[in-house]
Amino acid sequence: MNRLIHDFALWVDTHAWSTALHESYYMYNWIESTHVLALMLSLGMLFLIDLRMLGLALPDVPASTLARRLNVPMLIGFGVMIATGLLLFYAIPVRTSQSLWFRIKLVLLLAAAVNAWLFHRRMRAASADWDGTPRAPRSLQVGASLSLLFWALIVICGRFIAYDWFDCAARPPAFIATVAGCIDGQVQF
Amino acid sequence: MAPSLPVPPYPRTVAVCAAIATGLWFALSDLRVDLWVGLLPFFEWLETTPLGVIGKTWGAAFAVVQAVHLLAMAALGGTVLVADGQLLGLVFRDRPLPDLQRQCDRLFDRALVLVVLTGVFMVCAVAVKVYYLEVFWYKMLALASGVLFVYLVRRPLLRCDGGSVAPATRRLVGVASLMIWFSVAATGRWIGFSG
Repeated sequence: MNRLIHDFALWVDTHAWSTALHESYYMYNWIESTHVLALMLSLGMLFLIDLRMLGLALPDVPASTLARRLNVPMLIGFGVMIATGLLLFYAIPVRTSQSLWFRIKLVLLLAAAVNAWLFHRRMRAASADWDGTPRAPRSLQVGASLSLLFWALIVICGRFIAYDWFDCAARPPAFIATVAGCIDGQVQF
Repeated sequence: MAPSLPVPPYPRTVAVCAAIATGLWFALSDLRVDLWVGLLPFFEWLETTPLGVIGKTWGAAFAVVQAVHLLAMAALGGTVLVADGQLLGLVFRDRPLPDLQRQCDRLFDRALVLVVLTGVFMVCAVAVKVYYLEVFWYKMLALASGVLFVYLVRRPLLRCDGGSVAPATRRLVGVASLMIWFSVAATGRWIGFSG
């Protein structure tokens, strides 16, 4: 599996555009900045919705109204995050695919997506009788708390990708090397 | 009865013009350079403080604080987007203006405190490096403008006379706020690419 991922990353790395993107100071940094600034749209809206469910934000706005109205800007934000995220991976495929933090981040993203899906299903099933109350029912509060936790960890992992503590080139301990996907005798990092 | 603006219109105009003139004079005079040179010992001292030592020697702590800084930025940006979105008539057009603005203000204040606290920690760790970065000072200027704008212009303006602000003024405040906070975040991210 790790070898397959490494081969794929090596193949992406042969693309001229990948190298060009990596080596372009302004293009790469603009994409990176867009990725970070779009947090204000995606996570900003998500935080408001989650905090509203916990009774910590905008108590006067009905919860379902808030969730419905902020859903579109939030999804636009996440669209930008995904697009720029893919470009960032495309620019540095080999190192990123073997980053411990990138891999944890992907797992957490999956967990956050499942949690969001469950949250929406529960919110639709719940009737409007709690809408005006400061706090959502317990099951939605749990979902909102999990969402906040997952996203906090995702941002932390995202930030950690920039650091080289466990890079394959730094020969990490065997367990970490396996999880990060380091290949014995690899020549490209 | 909702409060009116604390300062009457005429002195207000004079005060704003005086502030702009002072800013221009400061930007063009030698005082700016003198102040910058004078601040070097302070920035060197920041690196020797416990915060500076922790940030320098414990890479993981620094990275976690950076992440918290980003999370707080997302919260701050989110409230700014919703509050300004309402001023521009993009979201919550049907909600009363002062109510939603006040609720956003409360969140904004908390996010700002968190952003500034984590920001101070990050500066302590790399104080002398950022001292020599132009973009760091641009960010500090943008941040100072943002804070002054929020507490001296935006809030008094939107709260006076029960929030019955002319639509054009309201939109202008929204656009100005978006531009300022975008600049703060963008120049902030660029600090990491410089030096």
